[in-house]
Amino acid sequence: MTDILLKTSNLTVVYPTKRGAFKALDDISIEIETGKIVGLVGESGAGKSTVGRAVLDLIDAPGYIAEGEIDFQGESLIGKSNDFFTQIRGRKVGYVFQNPMTALDPVMTIGKQVLEAIYANTDLKGEQAYERALDLLTQTRIKDPKDVMEKYPHQMSGGMCQRVVFAIAISANPDLIIADEPTTALDVSVQRSVMDTLIDLCRQYKISVMLVTHDIGVISEYCDFVYVMRHGKHVEQGPTQEVINHPKQDYTRNLMAAVPRLSKRLDRFRVLETVTDAQSKAREVILRYFQESDFPDNDELLLQVDKASCIFNTKSGFFGPPKTTIGLDTVSFTQNRKEILGIVGESGSGKSTMGRAILGLQRLNSGSITYKGTSLTDNNGRAITKDIRLSMQCIFQDPFSSLNPRMTAGENVTFPIRTHKLLPDWLSAKELAENLMLSVGLEASAAYRYPQEFSGGQRQRIAIARAMAFRPEFIFCDEPTSALDVSVQAETLNLMKDLRDQYHLTLLFVSHDLAVVRQMCDRIIVMRNGAICEIANPDQIIENPSHDYTRSLIAAMPKLDLSA
Amino acid sequence: MLSFIVNRVAHSLVVAWIISAIVFFGMYVVADPIDSFLPEDATAADEQAFIEAYNLDKPALVQYGSFLIRLVQGDLGISFNHGEPVLDLILDRLPATLELAVIALAFALLIGIPLGIFSGLNPRTKRSKATMFLTTIGYSVPNFWQGIVLILVFAVTLRLLPAGGRGDTATFLGAEWAFLTLDGWRHMALPVINLAIYKICMHTRLARSGTRETKTQEFMTFAKAKGIADQTLIRSHLLPNILIPIVTITGLEFGALIAFSTVTETVFSWPGLGKLLIDSIKLGDQPVVTAYLVLISFMFVTINLIVDVVYALIDPRIRYSAQG
Amino acid sequence: MTDSKIKDFFRDVIFGDPMTALGFVGVVLFLLVALFAPIIAPQNPYDLGAISIMDGQLAPGESLMDGTIAIFGTDEQGRDILSTIIYGLRISLFVAITASTIGTAIGIYLGLISAYYGGVVDSIVMRLVDVKMSFPGILLALMLLALMGQGVEKVILALIIGIWASKARVTRSAALGEIRKEYMRAAQLAGLSANQIILRYLLPNSIAPVIVMLPMIISGAIAAEATLSFLGVGVPITEPSLGMLIANGFDYLLTGYWWISILPGVVLVVLVLCINVVADRIREYANPALRHETM
Repeated sequence: MTDILLKTSNLTVVYPTKRGAFKALDDISIEIETGKIVGLVGESGAGKSTVGRAVLDLIDAPGYIAEGEIDFQGESLIGKSNDFFTQIRGRKVGYVFQNPMTALDPVMTIGKQVLEAIYANTDLKGEQAYERALDLLTQTRIKDPKDVMEKYPHQMSGGMCQRVVFAIAISANPDLIIADEPTTALDVSVQRSVMDTLIDLCRQYKISVMLVTHDIGVISEYCDFVYVMRHGKHVEQGPTQEVINHPKQDYTRNLMAAVPRLSKRLDRFRVLETVTDAQSKAREVILRYFQESDFPDNDELLLQVDKASCIFNTKSGFFGPPKTTIGLDTVSFTQNRKEILGIVGESGSGKSTMGRAILGLQRLNSGSITYKGTSLTDNNGRAITKDIRLSMQCIFQDPFSSLNPRMTAGENVTFPIRTHKLLPDWLSAKELAENLMLSVGLEASAAYRYPQEFSGGQRQRIAIARAMAFRPEFIFCDEPTSALDVSVQAETLNLMKDLRDQYHLTLLFVSHDLAVVRQMCDRIIVMRNGAICEIANPDQIIENPSHDYTRSLIAAMPKLDLSA
Repeated sequence: MLSFIVNRVAHSLVVAWIISAIVFFGMYVVADPIDSFLPEDATAADEQAFIEAYNLDKPALVQYGSFLIRLVQGDLGISFNHGEPVLDLILDRLPATLELAVIALAFALLIGIPLGIFSGLNPRTKRSKATMFLTTIGYSVPNFWQGIVLILVFAVTLRLLPAGGRGDTATFLGAEWAFLTLDGWRHMALPVINLAIYKICMHTRLARSGTRETKTQEFMTFAKAKGIADQTLIRSHLLPNILIPIVTITGLEFGALIAFSTVTETVFSWPGLGKLLIDSIKLGDQPVVTAYLVLISFMFVTINLIVDVVYALIDPRIRYSAQG
Repeated sequence: MTDSKIKDFFRDVIFGDPMTALGFVGVVLFLLVALFAPIIAPQNPYDLGAISIMDGQLAPGESLMDGTIAIFGTDEQGRDILSTIIYGLRISLFVAITASTIGTAIGIYLGLISAYYGGVVDSIVMRLVDVKMSFPGILLALMLLALMGQGVEKVILALIIGIWASKARVTRSAALGEIRKEYMRAAQLAGLSANQIILRYLLPNSIAPVIVMLPMIISGAIAAEATLSFLGVGVPITEPSLGMLIANGFDYLLTGYWWISILPGVVLVVLVLCINVVADRIREYANPALRHETM
């Protein structure tokens, strides 16, 4: 006899828009058994967060529940008053948001925010409530809870804030916790311990969990049962290991194939891709364009970084003295032509700073960088010619801010080339733009549309096309796929490998994700606090790490047992 | 913090100094006090006495130098027109302006903020839209024109309230105040309404847009999700968050209120600083104009400074950023 | 903006709300009247041959000596109030639009170079802005005009000085936000010159907040000019704007000739109101945080 805590039947949520009704959820039926951890997984736009919001009547206007039933502990939640929900929220269902920095009130102390929840949902008063708040913060493994009570959210790290959110969510011993991407906004190095805290507490107090996430690794590690969603619709469901290892639907199969694994290196991700005739023709055109600049096709030394160091002076606030933080700490490495060199590390490790320094976007305090035998750092880089400058390009992390929104995709790609008059006689700017669009897997007509009209993955392709337009030899890839859905990430990574092979590019690939780096790179640098921990080939880094920090990074990765 | 204050005070001194120089030399070129302020039948001896009294025979730079020296000593000079020390003139008129401005500001806050929050919480209701339209009218009508209409309706047509003047006053803290007498209130009613309407509209709009932006923030949804009832939500989360920018702007706008009292005072013949300024400009009474503007710029910078400090004190994100 | 976006804008924003549509039609009408003032006005009120003191102080609707009806009445010198309003509208709009456009353009330019170059340029521009902002605009204009004397071009200059600073500040903060974005890094890596980056990358992405304010800047300038003229330091008596007409009639207000002052005032208020209704709507539309509520 199973005990169903929460059940939705044929739930449909609609947002009216100018172009008709948009169904954020379309006929979704899920069940959560008491004491179980149930995952809702899907890529962006799947509607998975909307389920949780619908349960607590938190859907933003003008969205509304158009059809379906929600039953919680045998009682229907449809059409109930706001007062009724106030009794459910916090008391019976706790909620954890994705970003703790925006979920906590910025001008209220942590203590008041925890106490507020206790006052609202329990009978505890005064001293007892305060003790309970301290106890909750202790249980969520926050150090110095008494101090933390007096602090404001911005004074704490994201991981600590999320623990406060957990404390609030469990404060009234709820029966269910809805956790909406609880670790996505956090630094990789703390994701695991924060997630463990939540799950341990829920198991300890027999709280059921609805775990909403895009991360297959998290699902695999924590969930008993999983629902796969796409575009607001149900795809498939089942016990976690069964769905992950024996997916029945094509979509799920593709999704699983796109997840980068730490354990095994694949040449390419096995995702559905088709190369049209137009695209292969365009790649020929671009190849001819590249061959004109006549790069040597060898694997000799291209880049040499020697004892690079820099510090940041940050003005800290209104009342405080200036602070200095270490950006880079005597970093030395070399990179050969056609090599894909990966740098991994958490935020603040200096991995992006290193790339920016190579590109001349960040000045070094000491040390040198030599590229193709030319010093980029002597005399403030006076030896850098325009050819050298343009032969080093960048693909940025955030596809939503890396393109000029007031230029079409084509102008974004060709405006600098036209300005520098670098076009060969046989190729017009228009042709270059169209062929580049085709060769990165977009339609030729994409050149005439504005960046806002594209999805994140498509924009990242345009950004790749823009870098390609300069006929670069070296491309710094700054977390190029961390903002993308996993299936789009797989396609983008495949594309970058193809381009490297075809146009003899040298890539410096920065990522926080060890699994991605393992799939992409020939050698890997592990960085922490601005310094290099170790440099080795991927197999060695993963299977036989020599540095403690590397080991802890690997341990923090969710275990994903994929037989496929 | 201290260096910040010192910095701002230095800045304010520079601003005041620039203003004083512009006004002083500008007025020196434009106005001819001998022509303007001596009676038609003045003798040569009268003229000589006038010139000596105001150092008018000295070069402009020397005059300006002695003006600065006197300024530092707290002496703002003597009015051409009134023949009295400018400081006395200004201190005499200051209470009239202050009571107008403070009462108008109080109205603006007490009416504007609740109205704005209410209409921001339900922005799509008819009542909220009507409120918005009224505030659009309110700030679209130029101040002086509102004054004229108020006079026409309440003073000329209905004969309910006086059209100008300050009425009876009573002494308090060594100054004359109209708000202590019934007659004073009757005289003050129209100027205060005139000065307050624009500010009420502004605060309503500020509170409204603040409310609309804040209520969609995630921390509001989270607070709701943790089981906080609506009223508590508004009182302890919405209000503190929208008040921070409002406090800042209110401080800055208090200065503008004093500036705009110039217009109101002219329309209603209210004997405050603003009217003194306009009269002095029209007459070319350089010492009064210079002193007024220097004082005003001082006051402005002081208000800005206080606002910055208060802002830092009420917003924990700024207060504690050093440790964060 | 593409053609279809402009069409969408008019359909959804301007004509999507009856009040805004009314305001917009009003603004267009006022502009047309101002533009074709000499054709539309019943008389040229400043042609001494066309007016007669015998027609002085006629109430609205009374007949002139020549038999035509003065719908809005006449002033003490026999000028047709409707005609003075139409000519005054022309001057008010000319002064306000010229000053707003120039002041805003100066503000945008200074804001952009301040954000882009930083350092000394930024310090100088921002100190200038601080100095300007630490003094109320109306007093500054009053002071300048007291020193410079009356004149249309002087009023425009005083208004420009009142307008530029806050726009420089707004543009600068928008531009600083844009400079942090990655497409600006890409422009740097593309080896583009400062002018190219400012013109093609920074400018189009940073001006939205100020451009959205432009209608409000213009209506503010109309009101400010009227206020200055009312205080007696604005446009000269030979080229009376709406504010000047109100000031001229103010003396007659208490003696019963209300229309000389009130009617130009009504026109002034309706004009400013029409602009502000449209401006409000555009501002709400431009704020993405509020858009879903209004649309």
